[in-house]
Amino acid sequence: MNQITESSPAPDAPLPGGPLLEVRDLSCERDERVLFAGLSFVVDCGTVLQIAGSNGSGKTTLLRILCGLNDGYDGEIIWRGESTDDTAESFVGDLLYFGHRVGVNKILTPLENLRWSAGMQRTVNDQLLLDALAAVGLRGFEESPCYTLSAGQQQRVSLARLRLSPATLWVLDEPFTTLDVDAVAQLEQTLADHARQGGAVIVTTHHKLTMPSLSRLTLGMS
Amino acid sequence: MWLWFAKLGSPKWFYELSSKWLPWLVVATVLVIGTATVWALLFLPPDYQQGYTSRILVVHVAVAGTSLAFFPLMAVAGTITLVWKMKLADMVAKNAAALGAWFSFITLATGSIWGSVSWGTWWEWSDSRLVSMLFQFFLLLGVVSLRSALEDSDKAAKACALLSIVGCINVVIIKYSVEWWNTLHQPASPVSLQTGSANGPEFWIATALMILGVYLFLSVSLILSTRNEILQRERRALWVQELVAAER
Amino acid sequence: MLSASVKPSTRSAFMLTLKRDLLIAFKRKNDIVNPFMFFVIVISLFPLAISPEGEKLAEIAAGVIWIAVLLSAMLSMDSLYRGDFEDGSLEILLLSPHPLFFLVLAKNIAHWLVSGFPVVIASPLLAYMLKLPSESYGTLMLTLLIGTPTLSLIGSIAVALTVGLGSRGLILAVITLPFSVPVLIFGTLAVQASASGLPAGGYLTLLLALLAGSLSLAPLTSAAALRISVS
Repeated sequence: MNQITESSPAPDAPLPGGPLLEVRDLSCERDERVLFAGLSFVVDCGTVLQIAGSNGSGKTTLLRILCGLNDGYDGEIIWRGESTDDTAESFVGDLLYFGHRVGVNKILTPLENLRWSAGMQRTVNDQLLLDALAAVGLRGFEESPCYTLSAGQQQRVSLARLRLSPATLWVLDEPFTTLDVDAVAQLEQTLADHARQGGAVIVTTHHKLTMPSLSRLTLGMS
Repeated sequence: MWLWFAKLGSPKWFYELSSKWLPWLVVATVLVIGTATVWALLFLPPDYQQGYTSRILVVHVAVAGTSLAFFPLMAVAGTITLVWKMKLADMVAKNAAALGAWFSFITLATGSIWGSVSWGTWWEWSDSRLVSMLFQFFLLLGVVSLRSALEDSDKAAKACALLSIVGCINVVIIKYSVEWWNTLHQPASPVSLQTGSANGPEFWIATALMILGVYLFLSVSLILSTRNEILQRERRALWVQELVAAER
Repeated sequence: MLSASVKPSTRSAFMLTLKRDLLIAFKRKNDIVNPFMFFVIVISLFPLAISPEGEKLAEIAAGVIWIAVLLSAMLSMDSLYRGDFEDGSLEILLLSPHPLFFLVLAKNIAHWLVSGFPVVIASPLLAYMLKLPSESYGTLMLTLLIGTPTLSLIGSIAVALTVGLGSRGLILAVITLPFSVPVLIFGTLAVQASASGLPAGGYLTLLLALLAGSLSLAPLTSAAALRISVS
């Protein structure tokens, strides 16, 4: 019922120690409705997995399950050869989640926001943060309270975390929604770069992605 | 052991087993409560101080004793829900909270009625048991209202499980702190707050029988309401639909 | 890009969270000022409703101050996790590679510093207005100093459980207030004992025991509650 269509072949050389993330026979029921069942897929280093599907097909729930935010599922999630239940700490340290609610406090400035949200995962200094903000096009807005920024700009504040994160696996839920054309192109480039450097990305979007080593998983096809 | 435990978690298994047991339990409940009531009303000699009023104590003591069992029961069910994600435990816990609130309320009501005659007041703050029962009632209502406030049933199950465990610990702390508080505020009125000071063995036998009866009643109510809950939550399951078809 | 980074220690994550929450509190001054004003106003209403007589006021002073503390603590608690829940910061908190116990504790401490601590500082003034005997000011401050963090820690559990509710209304009060009974009892008993010249050390020890208990258990429970609410 769910299928993976490879739009381009994954890198030939498998990484030592098996795949980065493996999902076996995952199923989820929410409020007596089966969202998905028997879902199995693999995410290797150096790949981007796009999760597609109509509204309400369980994309967000799937991402939250993968990150460990939601435990209402049956099946197994294997991280670097071990169940995520047993490797929670190292798994979370190597994971970056970007959700619908982007994690930007409106009272704080972009700089203050990143100091905390990026600083929880790695040690940062202000120069790194300023560079990251400049890279996402927020030069000049570093010290303005986030409530003065537009929705797209707030989203960029959160996306600046991608440039600071040490995580191998990025899990991004609709990261393209409020971005303008330039920012969309830039984000696509960032994802492709991350994969090229050996990282992995799981992303939900209705946006048509074009990048090497992209595979696609469509939910809710029966 | 584990197989048995896993089986117990299956709503279908519980439903079928309880169908067999339920008639017997109902008969036992009616018999025991009936005997205890008849005994208490017809044969119990009047208390030399309190007269016939002491008879309400048979019900009061039994319900009060039983209502203390709810928080431990809910805490155990909550632990099972959180650790083993067993649905059945949550169904029991859900009904236990509401039932527990009723039991606490009946305890308070029968206590007041008894108090109105023997203490001359419907409410007495200097009785620590009444006060801690009042707060147990509030805590149980808190669990009930949290359950009804959360729409997502899975989330509600876990949140209430956690609250029940915390509440169970808190009920104990509240009980002891209220007792402490009470010993420091000696009652101004000279009434003796001793309940069964002059009650003979007949009273205690009737009460013991009533306690057994109330526990049986509690089990029957819990089983009945859990069966309801099972049918409601599993209404899409094949076995429930077959059951409904057979009933028609 | 990936190699040069170092995972921060739990201690620095704790400090980061503490600083962030304090910064937010200072930028959103209403959240600090309103509960405090509520505390002062509620206390000022009691003499109007009961009597201006010093003797009567002195008798109820400890109870009035403690109940005002309970209510204002509950009001201020509401904002503890709500902002973070609504803007998604809570997910970042839950998915950070640090024990959630310490991060929750950092948030609780930040919250107490801006809501509980001012009440402790202001309490002698309000005690004076309520004609509490001056020899119990010290005990009152001590009980509040030990009791208010306990209330914050216990309240945090209920706030975490209800943070996902759209219209929380009074459910927080219904859940939290019964939980605060022991703190209320020992807090007021200590002040009353000292007002009548009796030693209050026993009650303070019990309050300390409650604080120690909630310090070790409540953040764990809050963390579990947050995980449930965010799921």
